[in-house]
Amino acid sequence: MNYFVKGNPDLCIGCRTCMIGCVVAHEGAKIFQMKPGEYVFNPKLDIVKTATITIPVQCKHCENPACMNACPVGAIEVIDNAVVVSQNKCIGCKTCMIACPYGAIDMVVSSDGSKQLDGNSRMVANKCDLCTGIEGGPACVRVCPTASLKLVTEEAVETSVSNKRMAAAISLTQVKE
Amino acid sequence: MSMGIPEIENAKLLFIFGYNGADSHPIVARRIIKAKQKGAKLIVVDPRITESARIADMHLQLKGGSNMALVQAIGNVIINEGLADQKFIEDHTNGYEEYKEFVKKYTPEYAEPICHVPAEQIREAARAYAKAETSMILYGMGVCQFAQAVDVVKGLASLALLTGNFGGPNMGIGPVRGQNNVQGACDMGALPNCYSGYQSVTDDAVREKFEKAWGVKLSNKVGIPLTHVPHRVLEEKDEKKKIHAYYIFGEDPAQSDPDLNEIRETLDKLDFVIMQDIFMNKTGLHADVILPSTAWGEHDGIYSACDRGFARIRKAIEPKGDVKTDWEIISLISTAMGYPMHYNNTQEIWDEMRSLTPSFHGATYEKLEALGSIQWPCRDESMEDKGTPYLFTGGKFSHPDGRGKFFATEWRPPCEVESPEYPYSLSTVREVGHYSVRTMTGNCRALANLEDEPGWIQMSPEDCDKLNVKEGELIRVFSRRGSLMTRVLPTERVKPGATYMTYQWWVGACNELTTPYLDPVSNTPESKYCAINLEKINDQAWAEQCIKDSYESIRKNMGIDTAKKEV
Ligand code: SF4
Repeated sequence: MNYFVKGNPDLCIGCRTCMIGCVVAHEGAKIFQMKPGEYVFNPKLDIVKTATITIPVQCKHCENPACMNACPVGAIEVIDNAVVVSQNKCIGCKTCMIACPYGAIDMVVSSDGSKQLDGNSRMVANKCDLCTGIEGGPACVRVCPTASLKLVTEEAVETSVSNKRMAAAISLTQVKE
Repeated sequence: MSMGIPEIENAKLLFIFGYNGADSHPIVARRIIKAKQKGAKLIVVDPRITESARIADMHLQLKGGSNMALVQAIGNVIINEGLADQKFIEDHTNGYEEYKEFVKKYTPEYAEPICHVPAEQIREAARAYAKAETSMILYGMGVCQFAQAVDVVKGLASLALLTGNFGGPNMGIGPVRGQNNVQGACDMGALPNCYSGYQSVTDDAVREKFEKAWGVKLSNKVGIPLTHVPHRVLEEKDEKKKIHAYYIFGEDPAQSDPDLNEIRETLDKLDFVIMQDIFMNKTGLHADVILPSTAWGEHDGIYSACDRGFARIRKAIEPKGDVKTDWEIISLISTAMGYPMHYNNTQEIWDEMRSLTPSFHGATYEKLEALGSIQWPCRDESMEDKGTPYLFTGGKFSHPDGRGKFFATEWRPPCEVESPEYPYSLSTVREVGHYSVRTMTGNCRALANLEDEPGWIQMSPEDCDKLNVKEGELIRVFSRRGSLMTRVLPTERVKPGATYMTYQWWVGACNELTTPYLDPVSNTPESKYCAINLEKINDQAWAEQCIKDSYESIRKNMGIDTAKKEV
């Protein structure tokens, strides 16, 4: 099963530390050393605020990802329980962005500084990759000051489902004919 | 604060009044969430749906500027429904009868049309506050930045007196201060009326103590409050009373003070202005001399948190370039002016401070090292005196007779209210990520990547529809004092007719619009209320260019390399 990061709107205070953590994790310390305007700032999650909710929205890492099915060049793959865009294969066609039902994909200037044939910066699809290959796992989870984000793994889902079944079983015994 | 910050987590009810922790102090907001998780009830009084209001059990979305009416209506309900703590009132307070008489007229029905909060909701909030085992009040700038501010603070304290919520753990009343270490600045005597530890400048014994320690004659007169400076420069006729020179450090009045037009005029009229700061800012543009100083990671010292807690800060990196610490600069200036001042390190300064301030005397560097933090009063140097987590133990207050004093007075509306010409209200607020003026955080690139000039105006979706403006569009905002352009941010979290802007932006500087009216006691300006109007801009491309040009020109004037940064 693919993993995903789940936010808790009762805990989130909308501080956006997770967004900065995300960028720093993916770009590395270089964003603090490069000249302003020469680095890219592409958070892979976004904080949404409505009257009653504040919560980060990011990729759900679907089991049957619409983005992956739609990508014409096979730039989206499942790696280590995560749906990952391989930015060097991406041709910037935006199909995945349209296909995603969660709005979890946007188009950004590629962070490797590469150019297209016409000299413009390359545009690529940008989405949460669960910090695949980054030590310590998803940075957003690590930096959130209120511990509002959790990495949901297969194990966590199983425990949660079995706990719920247990609770259901107990409540069922209380329903007398 | 009468209590300590960690106690927030253990209160049974949090009454959060005009305080938006998530934006001002995420670390305190975390405690509020923990309290809620531990089962505390949350009542939030705020004109906006803040993060705390969103998760609260009850949100009283009052109209801005009606605080006093609401506070007294709550007092009225507590008394009328027999919820007051009569024993506490008898044993520990004065003025209850007068208070009771005064708030008689402030029934919830009387307050409802002023506050725009249903009478029944006021009753429910009052009941919950009075009935909880321990209730704690947290308030912020939504109380203090009004021309009727000190009254409301006393009114809130009266609610705590009324219900016996003083003198024990996890209760009391806490101003969660507007700025980092503003508590420290006040504690150390950076106020016009007192020396360190709130020792009065008009008290002869105190003055003589300081005269003896420093070997100089000192004035016995109260000084000039910061917010009176423009008046003393622009309008004072008596040359002797007029201010001629202004030494400003760690502060950017040309950004943070109300009615910026008047501030600029003041700074330009002064004979001599010194600005001492870590980066260039708006005030620096009017300075004769700029003294570059070190930033928080580059020096040692002691901070006080809003709960009276001292903590040491330690240098993390060696400062680079031609900069000095604030205390070294002050010592050098003092020496040059004829009073030799010399310290080898911050511990020497702290030890002198302790020796002259009885309530801090026990907070030694060694003890701070061992305990991490100490809340004053801490009078004794021995390890036994670990400071004072909460004040007024056992209901003993600081008045000479040891009793708390009730306070009530008439509600006053804000000084400048909406009119047909200026039909919207504007309140200045904070946003998480950018701290106070933008001297520090505007230069932090990750934060600037999240938000940058010209900033936003928060408006209700209804008002946006009415003006036919969309999210991100530039809009003209103007008041009787000034005008600016900023971006529209429609949000369901604000009520129609009310608008909100954060005050740090150089281009969209909302203090161009605010009023210089002050609270008569604290001299704090009414930053939370003024009347404005809004105007749609049809030529957006032109407006975008204006913003870009004006940012560029500010940066150029400040000597910042403009070629490298896009707006
Ligand atoms: S860091 Fe945590 S609290 Fe802050 S916005 Fe992200 S999820 Fe919310």
